[in-house]
Amino acid sequence: MASVVVLTGCTQSMAQAPGHGAMASPTAMTSGTKAAQLRAGLNNLFSEHVYLAGAATNAALGGREAEFKAAAGALDANSVAISKAIGSVYGEGAEKAFLPLWRRHIGFVVDYTVGVASNDKGKQDKAVGDLVNYTQDFGAFLSAANPNLPKSVVADLVKHHVVTLKDVIDAQASKDPGRAYTALRSAAGHMQMIADPLAEAIVKQFPDKFAG
Amino acid sequence: MSAREVIGAGSGLAVVVGALVASAAPIPAVDIQLFQFQPGAVEVKAGTTIAWTNRDDIEHTVTSGDPEHRTGRFDLRLPGRGTSMTISFSEPGVYHYFCDRHPSMRGEIRVNPSEP
Repeated sequence: MASVVVLTGCTQSMAQAPGHGAMASPTAMTSGTKAAQLRAGLNNLFSEHVYLAGAATNAALGGREAEFKAAAGALDANSVAISKAIGSVYGEGAEKAFLPLWRRHIGFVVDYTVGVASNDKGKQDKAVGDLVNYTQDFGAFLSAANPNLPKSVVADLVKHHVVTLKDVIDAQASKDPGRAYTALRSAAGHMQMIADPLAEAIVKQFPDKFAG
Repeated sequence: MSAREVIGAGSGLAVVVGALVASAAPIPAVDIQLFQFQPGAVEVKAGTTIAWTNRDDIEHTVTSGDPEHRTGRFDLRLPGRGTSMTISFSEPGVYHYFCDRHPSMRGEIRVNPSEP
């Protein structure tokens, strides 16, 4: 039942932003089906993740502590929502296992941002290395959950997420708002490359639960 | 019991670890799957051997203690899917463990005294 609540909620959010180009589905799909709701819900959550991460890193780099805390809080609420979406498909145990794994990459992004802010190249390099290693963990998690998601493919997609988010942070640090917002939009749009295959793999795995 | 190796005998705990081998008695099993120890808590009698099998396509460890307080009693490395290792618990007690690569993964072995 939790899945219906979470994913329906996300679909309603999507309905409030019909002009969001990054969410355009390449295949014809009836909007009211469970499969369509799943795809829209995951796209919404992953896109939101990037925008909130960008807001948090921008506030951090600008030294705006109160704004950073608010953005980080919203980002974590998004993390919890993503983990609940995972849990709604794979169970409470998977939800509890996913959340710290997901939060871990956010911690590495924070490390990278701190490295950029302090001009500490060593810290930046370590954070990038941690993020690259993390892509293997994330790939392993999703491939264990769903045999339709090869580990290497997921890892590559997440690696691209890391790279696009790094572009955002670097642009923010260079105080180039035009480049930063272009990069942010690109990073958010890329999340469709993760959300769509994930939704399709779940539908393939549970066709009765996510008909459509 | 070939391929076995004693790796520690500290604090009254005799630990034997090795690749999973055929045994006459059923061995309590813990699967490592979807970044979880399943079951998360196991209760056995002293002298029992427990097997861990990694079902994930990533290295996990079975490391004694918790990330903030490692006890150093055992530290199994299961490098990939399908790898198995065992530990024999000879002394009663509660043994907490975690995965060193993924510290949020936690498990517990409760070892009760064996019947006289």
